[in-house]
Amino acid sequence: MGNLRGTSRGLAGAPLLVLMLAVSACVASPGASAPASTTEPGLPSSVPSAPLSAAPSPAAFPLTLTDDAGRTVVLDASPGRIISLAPSNTEIVCALDACDRLVGVTDFDDYPAKVVDLPKIVLQTQVDLELLVAAEPDLVLAAGNELTPSSVIAQIEDLGVPVIVLYPESLEEIYTDIEMVAGVLDQGARADSLIDDMRRGVAAVEAAVEGSDKPRTLYEVFHSEGTTYTAGEGSFLASLLELAGATPVTGDAEGVMEAEDLVAEDPQLILLGTASYDPSMATSAAALEVVAARPGWSDLSAVRDANVVPYLDDIVTTRPGPRIVEGLEALARAIHPDRFD
Amino acid sequence: MRAATAARPLALGPSFGRSTVVLGGGLVALTAISLISVAVGTSGVGATDAGAIILHRLFGIGTATWPSSSEAIVWDLRLPRVVGGMLVGAGLACAGTVFQALLRNPMADPYVIGTAAGASLGAVAALLLPGLIPFIAAGWWLGLGLVQVFAFAGGLLAVVVVYAVARAQGGTPVVTLLLAGYAVSSLLSAGVALLMFLSGDRLAAVVSWLLGSLGGASWPRLAFAAPLIVGSFVLLLLRWRRLNALLLGEEQAVHLGVEVEREKRILTVLAALATSAGVAISGTIGFVGLVVPHLLRLAFGPDHRLLLPASMVYGASLLVLADLGARLAGGIPVGIVTALLGAPFFLWLLRRSLVMRPRP
Repeated sequence: MGNLRGTSRGLAGAPLLVLMLAVSACVASPGASAPASTTEPGLPSSVPSAPLSAAPSPAAFPLTLTDDAGRTVVLDASPGRIISLAPSNTEIVCALDACDRLVGVTDFDDYPAKVVDLPKIVLQTQVDLELLVAAEPDLVLAAGNELTPSSVIAQIEDLGVPVIVLYPESLEEIYTDIEMVAGVLDQGARADSLIDDMRRGVAAVEAAVEGSDKPRTLYEVFHSEGTTYTAGEGSFLASLLELAGATPVTGDAEGVMEAEDLVAEDPQLILLGTASYDPSMATSAAALEVVAARPGWSDLSAVRDANVVPYLDDIVTTRPGPRIVEGLEALARAIHPDRFD
Repeated sequence: MRAATAARPLALGPSFGRSTVVLGGGLVALTAISLISVAVGTSGVGATDAGAIILHRLFGIGTATWPSSSEAIVWDLRLPRVVGGMLVGAGLACAGTVFQALLRNPMADPYVIGTAAGASLGAVAALLLPGLIPFIAAGWWLGLGLVQVFAFAGGLLAVVVVYAVARAQGGTPVVTLLLAGYAVSSLLSAGVALLMFLSGDRLAAVVSWLLGSLGGASWPRLAFAAPLIVGSFVLLLLRWRRLNALLLGEEQAVHLGVEVEREKRILTVLAALATSAGVAISGTIGFVGLVVPHLLRLAFGPDHRLLLPASMVYGASLLVLADLGARLAGGIPVGIVTALLGAPFFLWLLRRSLVMRPRP
């Protein structure tokens, strides 16, 4: 799915690429100093000591950790130049007040607003290794589950840059990952308050939907030619739907559902995540029309009762970062609007 | 002089001067394209630094005045791609030339008797294996490892199977070889499609391998493939006379003293070796092996004394150029670029040959 969404921003990234070429060109000029130090003139300034000065704890390094791919990573010092290969990683770094240490992101990054102007290392889901090396990172935060291909991770490591793979698959794993990144950034105190806030937000949503009925809910991630991609059985998204007071209609572990299975499961509520990216489905009437036209769908309870919601918060709901709590709340509001008056 | 050249019989080969122009021109083009490729990329590392870095790494000339990231970009990213493009492009074009002569079929390409399908099945199986057998995932297979070795072995194995199937008493008829190649390829492709269907999260990795890309080219991989490709080049170049003889037809070749069946086996193995080693570096890249031999034969005639080395030089040039385009276009797989360039050209060739041929 990332592919489909990534392409829409491809053209918007083009002028930035030109700008970036100009920026990195002056870095690479022969007069530049030889060693690959953490600061290099010409690039967005990042002074690693500045955000750390509050509570430096040099004893923590060298730091050994195990990432979400089960890899052991050793870091000699807190990195000052970080490249994020996934928007969720970017959001974690920025939520830990270390946005200024990012020297490269993806062309799908959109939050917080200031990361939009950072150099784009991932263009249309392809990692540009040359741009990555030119940004002289001392840490790369990759995405798991082949979102960053394992062959690319191996190449980055061969180039001498440590890689941490983040792939949280539950709220608890997001907390763990935030703590892990905070350890790397030496921002432990910030992580504690962030995670406290998140836990409080989750508890508030749970309290709001407590005791409600739990409608059978289909969250449509993508639909093509009669096949629906939804929250997979046991997936993160399915667990969020449960927390938001729904009974998720799941496909197999990959979330794939054929029309026949869908009719058998008969969802009472349909949330169209696709509407976040497709303005033609963004109104309730249009959304209902689109799904009613699909073979077999007009018989679904959700369609008969017009419980088809164009869900416009797909990004915060499916991006496993600090804003996942906003996503959870958006889900709960869509499923139980009466509880949020 | 001019009249004598025109009347010169095939076996004597092209004039020295013409070969020099064709090959020399090709080498100049290849050098220029390679230099541009090393000097151009998405980051701002330019020609001056690139040249200085290469001289420094190769001969120890000069002192490092550039950031170490520039050195990594030029030496570990751009140069392996350029060298890999040369090896794969030359290997595919040369293998294509051999198969077109051997099978006396202009539609033949390096993949025609099963190498592509066999290598693909091997690579896809290797890409998915770590998910099935966890201990294989323990690191080593990504650098040089499993995918490359399986692709190489799969390509060769498929050719051996095709050859064994096509073998009748006393010989291996060319038509049977082609048909067996087609059938075995179809079977193996079905296997690839099945594995893709079952691949789940790794589908992206599988697709990007199948599309062909030089993005994974690294010195260890090149060290594995280069001796195989260059070795088969040398052995193939030495056999230009026999290829010319085969071009006349198998009976005529026998009369010229060629042991036809043995020669077909040797040529097939050598061409399959170059192809499979190339595929192990880059995945399956289309059209280079079909179009380059065609173009050169149209332009310079069918003499393999010139055709073989020319196909290597021009195949290498084309692929390095296509990869430069692919790199600058945001890392799209080079297989897409070669097919985008190659298919229209092939259609043009086809139209041209139709127009030139008298209607029945």
